[in-house]
Amino acid sequence: MSYAAGVDVGSTQTKAVVIDEHRNIVGRSLLDTGANVVKAAESAFVAALAQGDIDEEEVEYVIGTGYGRYRVTFGNSQITEISCHGRGAVHLFPETRTVVDMGGQDTKAISVNADGEVTDFCMNDKCAAGTGRFLGAAAAALDIPIDQLGPVSLKSSKPIKITTTCTVFAESEVLAWIGKGKKIEDILWGVHKSIASRSAGLMRRVGIDSEITFSGGVSRNNGMVKALEERLEQPLNISEECHYMGAVGAALFALDHVEAGRAPAIKTPATMTTEARS
Amino acid sequence: MKTLEDRQELVGRGNREGAALFRDWFAELEQTAQDGGQAAYVFVMGSTNEILKTFDIPVVFPEITSLQTAVRRMAHELLDEAEDYGYSPDICGYVKADVAVQLRGGKHPMGQLPTPSLSVVTNACNTYIKWGEIWERMYETPMFTIDVPGTRQAGTQSAPGSSDFEADRRYVETQLGELISLCEKITGTSFDIDKFREVLGHANTMSRCWNRVLELNAAQPSLFNAVTDGTIFLGVANAFRGTAEGARYFERLVEELEYKAANGIGQTIEEKYRLLFVGVPCYPIFRRFNELFSEWGGTFVNSTYLWFASGGTNRGYEYDLSDPIAGLAEGMLLSVRDAMDSMFHQDLAIADMAKDFNVDGVIYHPIKSCRTVSTGLADGRRQMTEDLGIPSLFIESDMMDRRVVSEAQMKNRIDAFFEGLVTRRQHAAAATRESQE
Amino acid sequence: MMTTTTTRVFDEWRDKSLDDALLECRDQVESPDFETVQRWRDAGGKVAGHFQVYFPEEIVHAAGMLPFKVRGAPLEPDHADSHFGSYLCSIIKTSMELALSGRVELDMFISHPICDAARNLAAIWDRNFDYPCQILYLPQNPNSSGSVEYLFREYDRMRRVTEEVAGCEITPSALANSIAVFNTNRQLLRELYEIKRETPWLIAAEDAYALVSLAGMMPREEHNELLATLLPKIRERTNKAEDRVRIVFEGGFCEQPPFDLVRMLGRTSYLVDDDLQIGLRWLTEDVSVDGDPLENLAEAYIEKSSYSAVQHDLRKPKETMLINRIRAARADAAILAAAKMCEPGLEEQVTYTHALDAEKIAYFVSEFEENMSSFDSLELQVETFVEHLLFA
Repeated sequence: MSYAAGVDVGSTQTKAVVIDEHRNIVGRSLLDTGANVVKAAESAFVAALAQGDIDEEEVEYVIGTGYGRYRVTFGNSQITEISCHGRGAVHLFPETRTVVDMGGQDTKAISVNADGEVTDFCMNDKCAAGTGRFLGAAAAALDIPIDQLGPVSLKSSKPIKITTTCTVFAESEVLAWIGKGKKIEDILWGVHKSIASRSAGLMRRVGIDSEITFSGGVSRNNGMVKALEERLEQPLNISEECHYMGAVGAALFALDHVEAGRAPAIKTPATMTTEARS
Repeated sequence: MKTLEDRQELVGRGNREGAALFRDWFAELEQTAQDGGQAAYVFVMGSTNEILKTFDIPVVFPEITSLQTAVRRMAHELLDEAEDYGYSPDICGYVKADVAVQLRGGKHPMGQLPTPSLSVVTNACNTYIKWGEIWERMYETPMFTIDVPGTRQAGTQSAPGSSDFEADRRYVETQLGELISLCEKITGTSFDIDKFREVLGHANTMSRCWNRVLELNAAQPSLFNAVTDGTIFLGVANAFRGTAEGARYFERLVEELEYKAANGIGQTIEEKYRLLFVGVPCYPIFRRFNELFSEWGGTFVNSTYLWFASGGTNRGYEYDLSDPIAGLAEGMLLSVRDAMDSMFHQDLAIADMAKDFNVDGVIYHPIKSCRTVSTGLADGRRQMTEDLGIPSLFIESDMMDRRVVSEAQMKNRIDAFFEGLVTRRQHAAAATRESQE
Repeated sequence: MMTTTTTRVFDEWRDKSLDDALLECRDQVESPDFETVQRWRDAGGKVAGHFQVYFPEEIVHAAGMLPFKVRGAPLEPDHADSHFGSYLCSIIKTSMELALSGRVELDMFISHPICDAARNLAAIWDRNFDYPCQILYLPQNPNSSGSVEYLFREYDRMRRVTEEVAGCEITPSALANSIAVFNTNRQLLRELYEIKRETPWLIAAEDAYALVSLAGMMPREEHNELLATLLPKIRERTNKAEDRVRIVFEGGFCEQPPFDLVRMLGRTSYLVDDDLQIGLRWLTEDVSVDGDPLENLAEAYIEKSSYSAVQHDLRKPKETMLINRIRAARADAAILAAAKMCEPGLEEQVTYTHALDAEKIAYFVSEFEENMSSFDSLELQVETFVEHLLFA
């Protein structure tokens, strides 16, 4: 049995996934990235191996992805998280044609074809207004734990329109509404709707085609899921696995390498990535 | 027959000679500044160098002097100073860098700049007009604005001979006459029409050669980098327009490139992906920006920048010397209009050349500073994708302000883009093999 | 051809008290739906959308079309957003949104070389709609001896384009008639501004603004009737003069500040003059109805027009014109506003500040966006500023 692995080093969390030659996930792990990125990558990989009871030597190819992809020093090559998310999304939900990934740092809109190949992408990381960061700022202003944001927002019946386009001023706008006696759930729902609106705008730049898969840390916020579904007027594919989507995609690309190496006469050597940088 | 020595002499000559001419230009400007001589501040789209050179007025191109401050990594100081003076972070970085240079008494990293005795602006860029108004207030510099009526709607460009074209051309000619009168007043000399013809003749040579230079780069592999080498060519095309040195430079550049084309000599890297660059280069990380592409074997074979920043002279229009002022008016109208079109309607121009140049991808680089170039790019890209389906990348930064240039972010997107190109190519290769089996 | 000059699109104000009539006016202007334009269409009329700042509306009016001044809108550019990148003013996006969302349907769209974003707008619009989307190349060198002749030819070209869209000939007499209608309108607007200047306590800032803005979204004959009816009633009001600071607002020539911002300024001061929607009041004198109407219109643009940050004219340095405006309005101070990302506006602010410093005229610098809904900080600053002036 052959194995391949993907390690997704994000700014806040690192995920590792090991798959077998039949594309089954046999081991995975998730941990906080912390300050030592190289260590985080290694630890995640080791933990995923342990979960699947697999020896490191059995893994024939490892690909690093995410913002820390060049710090996966034991990896064979790197691929951007954009390509990996595209590939991973179609693996998890084969009818995916648009991916919206909302992480702590940025939001990505990716359009993919049936093979999981990226046809266009757009990222919002110049400004945090359409990202999880905006939620974080609002949560801080309202003194609500992040995991409560969704449930609280869903209690709203009358959303407040949030117009601030700058995360830095999000806090003052939220406080201003509290000062005017508005309910927390209404303010929070307004924040969710504002983020959904900006994300929808981002997605429109790459074209919105069904099915839409929603991934990233923020996809666990059921308030955000609802806000986005309302905005897009379509249901979204979500799953616990979405957290690992980047690592899954990376592992699938790694498996491509393994398979290519196995039959050199038929396929050209995969030149998907640049060499690992020291 | 060319020997190895000839080859070593020829290949890269254009870059060497261009750099030397650049230094000469700045040396002349510094001398002018020290002598307290007159100088005109002009712009790349409609510089009227043809008239100014007839009066022997040295020219400063603030667009070029400003971009040089970014290439030399000191633009951020200048932007800070201009912003302290009151200018918004959101306005054109070229304007701000120049304001700061002026506030520093004309001190520029490449030498002392003379103060403007005259500024000539066209409406090809509305910011030119605001810029001229700044010098008016700083130095009481007489400002001459030339209206060059642009295309009213894509596909409706009036042609020479039509009454609509003639109305526009006549207006340009009237204004050029007024500019000539102003120059006579400022310099105290008369307009020499024979010298004017000579200047126009050199400009014609340069336009003809420039057109040829760009055409030659359709070669596979391409002969020069449309972004990095292109910037050198543009410097000479603008600063030396209408001069014997400029004409000679471009004739020799054509010779070099024809030699390279005949001998299959391309750029220094192995060319894997041929790209078109749309926008203004990222000067704060000029070399590195190109490397982000060349590391993947991506080369820039053409760029809309070479079209509009040469004032549309890439179309190769040559002035009719028998009626020179009328001819200049016609040429300016056509070229500057073209320059504007290559910013506003570049999807059409791309459609014209993509096949001949065998373009694998289009890189759109809108910039914070320049709404003239950038406003239409998102929609232009959408249209191009719909019409031609060429893979493209859209990355925003700036040509002056390194605060909004994030190499890490750009690299992420550039890498993802090339990953897509690689996959595409592999599929195409697999499909070819399958059809052959 | 159906004559639409007698079509009325805004009846809600009729037979109402002055206060209620003004409320109806404000509602129309504040709404992102521009119902008046839809009603015109429903009656079978055609619409020529013209972007800021000035457009010779008489030309399309003479063809029986409604000139609709495209000035952005208080809405989110959901459809338009993806057609644009970053670092751009809001007005070009919300304007396009009006068309893309179907709120406003046009038969032609014209933009002007006021700035680089606006020139690009015509091209973007053109790629997305089938009707003529063009630039009317107004001169930025009105000081040339050739500018009137050029502009006359450019207006004539616009006449030809309009004739094709409208499907009818534009005769000199139709043009002369339209000029007369617009002369009346400009005169009435001048009277409105006289009220603002001489007796500002008689009309709230937001009401005056609504009255002006309506001109750009309804038939001019109907607007003339509206002003002719309401202005006398305003003059008859018995409100008392209050001791408020007199302020000039400069920077509303293109993207409009939010309605609430105008309201807020009206609460804290007397807005005795401004350049809000100035394109509707661009020509400062009557245009002659004798002789060639297009030539007269062209000459009026060159010789008898106002000023803005986006119109270059050696005879009208902006800071001189602003100082004149401030003095003529006997204003205590100026608000030097610019829309976010507005290059010419932001650049002019610097010139204005230096000039007003030299003249020792008080001013306040501000950036706005048409869709900002919270400007508590702006209000605070204006109030402090007003207090400072009062106690200075």
